[in-house]
Amino acid sequence: MPKRFAGWILAFPATVLVALFLIVPVTLTIATTFGDGSGPVAPYLDFFNSGFRRTVLWRTLEVSLATTAISLLLGFLTAYVVSRAPGRLKSILIIAAVFPLLTGVVVRSFAWLIILGKNGILNNFLTWIGVIGEPLSMLYTEGSVIVAMVYLFTPLMILTLVGVLENIPDDVIQASASLGATPVATFRQVIFPLAVPGLIVGAVLVFTGSFTSYATPQLLGGERQMMMGTLMYQAAMVNFDWVSASTIATIMVVITVSVVLAMTRIAKRLNPMTT
Amino acid sequence: MTQPLSVENVTAHYGTTKVLEDLSLSVAAGELVSLLGASGCGKTTTLRLIAGFLEPTAGRITLGGRDLTRLPAYRRDIGLVFQNYALFPHLSVLDNVAFGLKQRGVGSSERNGKAQAMLERVGLSGLSDRLPGALSGGQKQRVALARALVIEPPLLMFDEPLSNLDAKLRVDMRVEIRQLQRANGTTSVYVTHDQEEAFSISDRVAIMNAGRLMQFDTPENLYQRPANAFVARFVGFENLIAMRVVAREGDQMTAEAAGGTRLELSQARFGDIPDRFVLATRPDGLSVSADPNAPGIPAKLGLRTYLGRAYQYQCETETGRLIANGALSTPLEPGNPARLVPVPDQCCVLDAE
Amino acid sequence: MNTSMPRSLVAFAAVVYIFLVGPLIIVIGAALSDTSYLTFPPQGLTFRWFENIFEISAFRRTIVTSMQLAFLATGLALLVGIPAAYALNRHRIQLPSWLSTVFVLPILVPEIVLGFSLLKSVAVGASLPIFLSLLIGHTLIVLPYCVRVISASLSSFDFSIEEAAISLGSRPAKTFFTIVLPNVRSGVIAAFILAFITSINDVSTSLFLTGPGISTLPIQILAHVEQFFDPTIASVSVLLMVLTVAVMAIVERTLGLTFLTK
Repeated sequence: MPKRFAGWILAFPATVLVALFLIVPVTLTIATTFGDGSGPVAPYLDFFNSGFRRTVLWRTLEVSLATTAISLLLGFLTAYVVSRAPGRLKSILIIAAVFPLLTGVVVRSFAWLIILGKNGILNNFLTWIGVIGEPLSMLYTEGSVIVAMVYLFTPLMILTLVGVLENIPDDVIQASASLGATPVATFRQVIFPLAVPGLIVGAVLVFTGSFTSYATPQLLGGERQMMMGTLMYQAAMVNFDWVSASTIATIMVVITVSVVLAMTRIAKRLNPMTT
Repeated sequence: MTQPLSVENVTAHYGTTKVLEDLSLSVAAGELVSLLGASGCGKTTTLRLIAGFLEPTAGRITLGGRDLTRLPAYRRDIGLVFQNYALFPHLSVLDNVAFGLKQRGVGSSERNGKAQAMLERVGLSGLSDRLPGALSGGQKQRVALARALVIEPPLLMFDEPLSNLDAKLRVDMRVEIRQLQRANGTTSVYVTHDQEEAFSISDRVAIMNAGRLMQFDTPENLYQRPANAFVARFVGFENLIAMRVVAREGDQMTAEAAGGTRLELSQARFGDIPDRFVLATRPDGLSVSADPNAPGIPAKLGLRTYLGRAYQYQCETETGRLIANGALSTPLEPGNPARLVPVPDQCCVLDAE
Repeated sequence: MNTSMPRSLVAFAAVVYIFLVGPLIIVIGAALSDTSYLTFPPQGLTFRWFENIFEISAFRRTIVTSMQLAFLATGLALLVGIPAAYALNRHRIQLPSWLSTVFVLPILVPEIVLGFSLLKSVAVGASLPIFLSLLIGHTLIVLPYCVRVISASLSSFDFSIEEAAISLGSRPAKTFFTIVLPNVRSGVIAAFILAFITSINDVSTSLFLTGPGISTLPIQILAHVEQFFDPTIASVSVLLMVLTVAVMAIVERTLGLTFLTK
């Protein structure tokens, strides 16, 4: 094969696959929202004029931000412990974090149906110890969706951050101690700042993942706690209103892509280790 | 502010493996002591024990009378210079140097002033705003040095600080380190595997092997009077010849090596010589003579290499293979017989192993 | 070591781990419970809910479909992804820098949007058969894992070894299979496993592409939960976990992997 084009030839099939089945279809979806005849921004006016849809967008942002914040906290502290664990224990802890990731979203969300249901484990337990008289309805609340999403994304956060924390050389931490920094001071002044780029990557993964999720809000939020994903499915497959489904899709793309771009930019600026 | 360091009967383990056995070492106030040895000899372990990154299983470490043994690393007040510099990659050069002062609660204007002054002392005043990533190896080393010095620690420790620098810079930096150390009079422990480096800058050198201290003395004594075969080999005594005393006559003494070679030695030169001993020489301490009657070890010459100041010969003798040097004026051909004559000034006598 | 870890922090991490692993144990327990409703701890042990999976024809069919899709999509993605990863590393100077971004697009674009767009353009617009549309969707979502993971292991591959082989008379194509590929084997295995897991668990893309008669196991589970709430769901969930772990184990045994410990 001609040397000059070897790279192109090898990359061609994958490029075509992405172009034909991703770039074109998604562009078409976005394009439909601007050209349905009733004015270029009409579908967006429709969307934002509907109080219900605005609530859904707002709720989705709220749930995603809460999920991101909580899993950042859980993930970072846990990852710190894991990264400092002795060899054997460390690999066990890493595998224990990988295992939930092998199990799908549906199964893991379903687990919380068993836990949070009217006759679920948590209600049974709370009734048994006498904290509550009768079962609480915990399902189909924003809280239940957030709990399940945190459960879903924390392993991902742990694994991302363990990688980042392990990249901080031991001798930098020892240098800090030798200069008189207490463990807490070392954590705040050395470890945390060095982990910020990783925290941003983790936050982006979790935020975009929860913002565009479907199965978890569907199972644990139901009709009452609709989010962008479930709203879009309903528009497309229940109401067969493809223009509004496309509008929701476009809003999702715009929000996730801008978050990704903004955060990678911040991460780049914050990361002094690139040189 | 300078204090003596004392390591008393310290034993340490990594897991169940013993890595340091009953080590005792005392460093006088203001002295620079090197720990020298091959990797795995325990020199870095010793440094980590003193720094507090490792806890001894037995023994005691004190600094100026203060017992450090169970003190956490961050309360030991020891300035450390790391092999890989270990600069904080997210902090500017100035903030790196000021870090230790900040931990000590020094206010920001005072600590920046002190850090800046220290940077000037190490010749980096123009680089205070740079991030460590933008510095060369030598500059990083200076920042690391400034960072350790600025806290005015009673003890400074260096962990192979120059091993990542190129040869020329290494020599310049070690002179600079010695000058700074002398000027401050700070007690220092310097870990290295480079013999020349250790000998050139230290007041005393501790040679270690397999977790034990082999000899602890001034460079001069180590170089000329190794205490045992290990140290002798380490400082270049390549020929170790086992001998037995066969006759003593006043100051003169006759010893015999395996194969029947006899040598006359003066007791006045070597002190009391035990009945069985090892005669150690460097290649320079065995001179090659073509004279078959010279008072030396009969040998057959092997490969000859050119050293610039002499020729070096691999020699086969009755006592085994020896390495000897011969004059440049009279190159000898491999395969010829010769005599290897010990030069008394360049020999030493060790106990038999 | 003297770098002590505050005890409260260790306790915190332990609680997080209970939170992570507990629910999975609950699902397994519920699958074994001898009651007709979901409960934990299990009351009596039975495997009848596992038998029940195979009595329901929808589950039987979707298990097969999901396995077929996962294997085919992973295979296809590797087929186009390995050359692309190779090109990105070996011919980096030739290729524009944005090209590597193209291969990450399927992760960047929300899956649910991709699924919906494929429904509009491919399944309905081009009237492709349902299975083929699903296969396209799955191949796309697993492609980034193949390209990135293999690219990562190629980036540490020393291409002078390849040149050495060629200088010794090995032909370029043969060299790729005998020299390059064996050296990035652990990357390929990791990519295979990641891709397989992603495909077999996918909901968001499949959601729009399943149709009359053809569905995937996670979508079927989702549909089933909304109608019935019995331990069959728990047991099918367990089955899905077991399938995933089994594939990992088989791949590990046959190709020998150590990527998890890396």
